[in-house]
This record gives sequence, structure tokens and C-alpha cells, in this order.
Amino acid sequence: MKRVSKAVAAGIAAAMMCTAMVSAAAQEHLNFGCYMYAASFDPAAYQNAAWQGMRLGVTEALFRFNDDMTVSGCLCDTYEVSEDHKTWTLHIRDGVKFSNGDDCNAQAVADSLQRLYNVCAREEYSSTPSTYIDMASITADAEANTVTLVTNVAYADLTATLCFPFYTIIDVEGDLDDESHDYTESVIGTGPYVVDSFDVTTKNAELVRNENYWKGEVPYASVSATFIEDDTTKALAIQSGDIDLTENVTTASDLATLEADDTYYVSKTSSMRTGFAYLNFAGVLGNDDLRRAVCMAVDGQTLCDVTVGGMYTYGYAVLPSSLVYDYDSLVYAYGYDVEGAKKLLDDAGIVDTDGDGIRELNGENITLRYITYVNRCLSDFAEAIQVSLAEIGINVEITNTDSDTEWNLMQAGAYDLCDSNWTTVGTGDPTAFLLNWYGDGGANLYDGENAEATNYCNYVSEEYDELYEAFTASTDVEERNRLVAQMEQVLLDDCAVLVHGYYNSAFISNATKVTGAEISTIDYYWLSSDIKPVE
Amino acid sequence: MKKKHVLFVSFLCLALLIVLAAVLAPYLVPYDPFAASLTDALKPPSAEHLFGTDKLGRDLFSRVIYGSRASLASALALVACIFALGSVVGIAAGYFGGWIDAVLMRLADMMISFPGMVLAIAVAGILGASMTNAVIAVALVSWTKYARLSRSLVLKIKGCEYLAAARLTGSRTGHIMWRYLFPNAVPTLVITAATDIGSMMLELAGLSFLGFGAQAPMAEWGLMLSEGRSYMQKAPWMMVFPGLAIFCVVVVFNLLGDSLRDVLDPREEE
Repeated sequence: MKRVSKAVAAGIAAAMMCTAMVSAAAQEHLNFGCYMYAASFDPAAYQNAAWQGMRLGVTEALFRFNDDMTVSGCLCDTYEVSEDHKTWTLHIRDGVKFSNGDDCNAQAVADSLQRLYNVCAREEYSSTPSTYIDMASITADAEANTVTLVTNVAYADLTATLCFPFYTIIDVEGDLDDESHDYTESVIGTGPYVVDSFDVTTKNAELVRNENYWKGEVPYASVSATFIEDDTTKALAIQSGDIDLTENVTTASDLATLEADDTYYVSKTSSMRTGFAYLNFAGVLGNDDLRRAVCMAVDGQTLCDVTVGGMYTYGYAVLPSSLVYDYDSLVYAYGYDVEGAKKLLDDAGIVDTDGDGIRELNGENITLRYITYVNRCLSDFAEAIQVSLAEIGINVEITNTDSDTEWNLMQAGAYDLCDSNWTTVGTGDPTAFLLNWYGDGGANLYDGENAEATNYCNYVSEEYDELYEAFTASTDVEERNRLVAQMEQVLLDDCAVLVHGYYNSAFISNATKVTGAEISTIDYYWLSSDIKPVE
Repeated sequence: MKKKHVLFVSFLCLALLIVLAAVLAPYLVPYDPFAASLTDALKPPSAEHLFGTDKLGRDLFSRVIYGSRASLASALALVACIFALGSVVGIAAGYFGGWIDAVLMRLADMMISFPGMVLAIAVAGILGASMTNAVIAVALVSWTKYARLSRSLVLKIKGCEYLAAARLTGSRTGHIMWRYLFPNAVPTLVITAATDIGSMMLELAGLSFLGFGAQAPMAEWGLMLSEGRSYMQKAPWMMVFPGLAIFCVVVVFNLLGDSLRDVLDPREEE
């Protein structure tokens, strides 16, 4: 009998040990469901690829944004800048290693940046680091462990620009021209995780812990980053337990369901993103009265609060109201006023003469081509704007497509309204974002021939161009902020863009399994060593 | 009246009721199905809105009733197209035989070698998303059934003496096909067409659900299902009522087709 009891006790103990081991193993693995925007991890390949490495915690940059959009050192701990703001000497943090064990020292950092600039000069690489930093030279001082960046123009704050994912530091092993390296499926960075495998077709990635991480032990031994395109699927997947963590469930009702359940922790923040529709000045919306009436017919507040259920915070300026650009001083004369919109059109002679319910311009029914895609509620905005414009007698045809097709249609100018969602201050200020409306006397209008042009909406304003040029030339922060506000006011006065609102990002975790899953203000950062299993 | 006739008449009445609802939709609906009231979004079913409201605050009952217009009209147009196209091709192939038969039937074989819905998605994707293009896409992959059926029916009667007599008396080919071949094939083809209405409606709704058919703000059941998918948990009525509408109409037209077959099938008499 004693023997039997011992055997039973031993069996129970073994079973408990097995259970504990299985449980520990489960705790060591994180299932992350997310939208994967790129089929590559190479920061030089194209912008989304650069973002992907940083979002999945594989790569890091010299600096990083805090939640209040101030900048902290990351791989660089201290820096000095010359008086003319053209020479930046960056000290690389001692003791940092790449995930393969190599030292991430000044030479490695300089090589990584030099390789970026070298290969991006070639056609097959689409990233554009020169857009943000016009680099003259990159030199390393091995003894002082510093990298000196000399730029051709003065920059008010290069550290914020160096947070941008283009400038992530990867181990290029001295290969400055990609002669023997290909970073599509994997890249060696300094982040908490390492790409173990990546399927470029399904865009699913398996990550493992970086044993050499400079900030200490990484909580998860492995992470499965599964590409989930559909928001409702993300919500259902976390509810079913298939994933433990996900980002940006943008269907308000699904997010509300998760928020109401204590099993899930939803971290939300007002991001630096603006949702808006470009208005194409080369089409019928070049007519000032029609364009103003379009803006006046849209009840932006209700769209943000009800139609997309609070996924956006309403605002009419192109930059989020939470930024430092004096939103409260801006005046918008073309806010929601349906009757005013109708009167404006009637007074301008844009009326419905044939009684079909659609107004005519130059003898033809007004039908606006609205291109959008299913991302961050943009298609919901498009549908709501379609019915809003129907109320004032303007027909809208929506083309709901994918982001790549939309981009091609936009470049071809085949639109009147084109939805977009931009990170407005990706380099710490809106230099790149405000280029969308910079005409440069017509030289910056995209026409298919000039690949470097950034103005796809054919908006031209001398006043705006002058302000933009003064803004880029200035290194005085207060003056720059004032110029940005003035540019915003010009855009508002011209009804140059239809702003939907400012996107609120979210991170959703299973609170019984995961802790520390907080969303960052700027969405370069998803996975970090702060996200840990529940003890 | 025989039982099968009673059944046929019953289903015919139900089908007519659906058609009537579609025709008289403007007089039946309490609200403009396209009028949005953004502040009334996602209201549950109530006395004010029998089926609730959708994400733009539009009355769902009105949209479901109006949806019958788009769904029925497109399904009937589609069936008419494939009926006409398939019959002409099949009768021609069966009657002329030889290389005409070989070419037409190999073409039909090619079309049916692809999964129908996948090919329809590809065609609709190339043509662009619209209800008309969805009808064209499904028609391109569905006519083969009628062609093969009518061809086999023609082959069955091709050797009959009355056809030889017609030729002997100088009847022209067109006359023979229209006067002798087509009437012989028609009952079977009509039964097939009647039973196809439901399945064609489902295929069109499927394409609209996937974004290749009807586009917003059209009131179409497949599109309405797609719009409701994101609100499945919070506003299930957005999926339930368009789904029920598809279910009921497809069942009625399928049963109508079955009962019509029972009525017309001569073997049942024996």
C-alpha cells in the first residue's frame, strides 16, 4: 500500500512539474497580432520596412521620442552641436552590442548610416534619408567612440530627426554597398528581439530574445508576430485567446467591447496622426466656392464622436491640437453649416437645373471621385462624407481600395478627394508633412516626371510657400512654431484640405497574461522589453 | 388541383410578393433609405426603426426593402443573360456540330475548369467594382451550364424525322433552330433558370460582400452584410436582417424552381 501511495505521489508531483513547465513555457512566449506593413526589414528598402524593424523591437535608433514628444538618447547618450547647427558630434553609448554579439560602437554606427546613404542613392532602394537630413559627411572617432555628422544645411534639432526609423542602426559588418548582404528577411539590430524567421509572403515573423540586449534581460524568449489585416479579426483573436497582444483595433464597437471587459487592458493615446482628405485643385475642387461648400457640409465633430466612435479627436487644422502650434489661435471660417454651404453654392450659380438632385458646374453634374482604403476608419469617413455631400446636391463616387493602389491613383491625379493618415511630426517637427502643400512656384507639383515632388494635390499659394521656406531656413524654435501656425491658417483660409481629426492609437493586451503594454504617442514603437508576462 | 400544383402556386405567390415589395418599395418604406442621420447611428430595433439603424444612422428596414430591388433585378438580369447566351451557344454547337461544336464546347470547358467564384472575383477585379460588372463577371462563368444542357437536348432530337422533313421542305437554319430546336429545349432550360435565381443571387451578394459588386451607398444585401460585419458584436441587427432577407428570398426562389420542375417534369406523370 505504501508503495502505491509513493507511486501516486510521485505521479502527481511529476504531473505538477510538467504543468508548471508548460505554463512557464507559455509565459515565455508572446503571441502578437498586428498589421504588418512591409515584406522586408531593410530600413533602406522603403519606409514601411524601416518602421517594421523598429515596431517589432528589432532595431533602435540613436535617439527616441518620449510620450511628450521630447527626445531622449538611445544608442547615443550625449551629443554636441556646433554654433551653425551643421556639425553634430554624437557619443555612442558604451557597452551596446548588436544581437549577434558584435560591438555597436562609433565605427559600426557610422557604417550603418553611410550604407543607408550609399544604397539609397540607387534606384532599387526607395527610402529617402536625404529628404530629412542633407548629409555632407559621416565620420567615426573610434577612440572617443563618437560619430560626427556634418550636414549641408543647418537643422534646428537633428536629434529628433535621428529618431526616424530610416536612421535605425543595423550591423552592416563593414559592407557599405550591400555587396554581400541582403536585409529583406532579417536584420541585425540592437533591440530586445531578433528576427528568427520571416515569411515575406504571409508577412508573419518569429522573433527570439536578444541575449545581448544592452538594457538587460528581455522578458519573452520568443514572440510570434502574426499579420492580421482585419480589425474585427484582431478583436476576435484576442477574445478567443489566439493572441495575447494586438494594436489598433479601429472598429469603435469592437474596442468598446474589449474596454468593457476586465480581462483586457486597453492603452489609448492621442497620437501624432492626422486623418485627412487631399483636395485635388486640378479638378472641379479647384473651384473655390465648391471646395468651401464641401468643407462646410461635413459635420466633423459628429463623424469623430459617433461615426468612428471616438477613434479620432475632432480638429480642423492639419496638425493635432495637442501639439505646440497654437491650435486655439487658428480661425476656421468654413466649419459645419449645411444651409450656409447650400447658399454659397446657390449664390455661385452652382445649382441643379435639371432636377435630378445633383448640382451642375459648367453644365455637368458634379460627381467627386473619392479614393480611400480600409485603414484607421478612413473608409468610414469617406462613406459619411458621401452622404453628407449628397445632402447639398453633390454626388460622390467612392473607390475603396488598398493603400498601394490608392497611392498610384493619387500620383496619377485620378481623384478629387483622397484619404490619408499621416504621422505629422515624424522627425519631431512637421517639415515633411507640410511639404504636401508646398508648391515651390509649381516646381514641387507632382506630374509623373518629377519623382522627388511631394505636392500631389496641385495646391499653390505664394504665401504658404514663403512661410514654408522661412520655416525650413529658421533654427529658432519659437519662430518656427509661429510659422507653422501661420501655414495652418493659410490652409484653413483656402480650404486646402479636409481634415477628419486626430487619430487615437490603442494597444490591447490580455491582462491575465501580459503587463506593461502601453501605446506610445508616436507609433514607431510597439514591442519593447517593458511588455512582460504577468507574474 | 394536384399537390404539386398547389405548391407551385404557393411559391409563385411568395415570389410575386417579393417582386411586388421590390416594385412598390418607395411606397412601403417609412424613411428614405439613403438619408443619413449621423447622430442616430447604430440604434437597435424599435418601433421607430423596425430593423434598427446602420453606422450612418440610415433606417435598416427601408434599406432592406430597397435592397430587394438591387438584388432581384441583378439576379434576374443575370439569369436572363446566361439563359440567352448559353442557349444560343449550346443550340448552335449541337446543331452544326463539327469544328463549331468543338470550338464552342472547348471554350465552355475552359470556363468551367476554373472555380466559378474565383474566376468571377478575378473578372470583377479587372473590370472594376460595380453591380453591372459583378453581373458580367458571374455571367461569364455561368453561361456554360446552359450551353452544355441545350447542346445535349439538341443532340437528342437532331436525328428526329420532323427535323429532316423541315430541312427537306426548305426551312432555313435559323427557322429550324427557332421553330423546332429551341422550343424543345426550353422547358428544361426554364426549370434550370428558375432554380438558378437563388444561387445567382447568392453569388452576387457574395461578390458585393467581398467588395467587388455593389458600392456604397447602394442598398444591396451583400454590401449591407459586409458593412455590418465590423459591428457584429455591438450591432448584430446590421447583419441579421440583410442576412435573413437573402435567406428568405433564396429559399423561396429555390423552392419555386423545384416546384416548377415537378410541374413540368413528364416523368412525374407516369
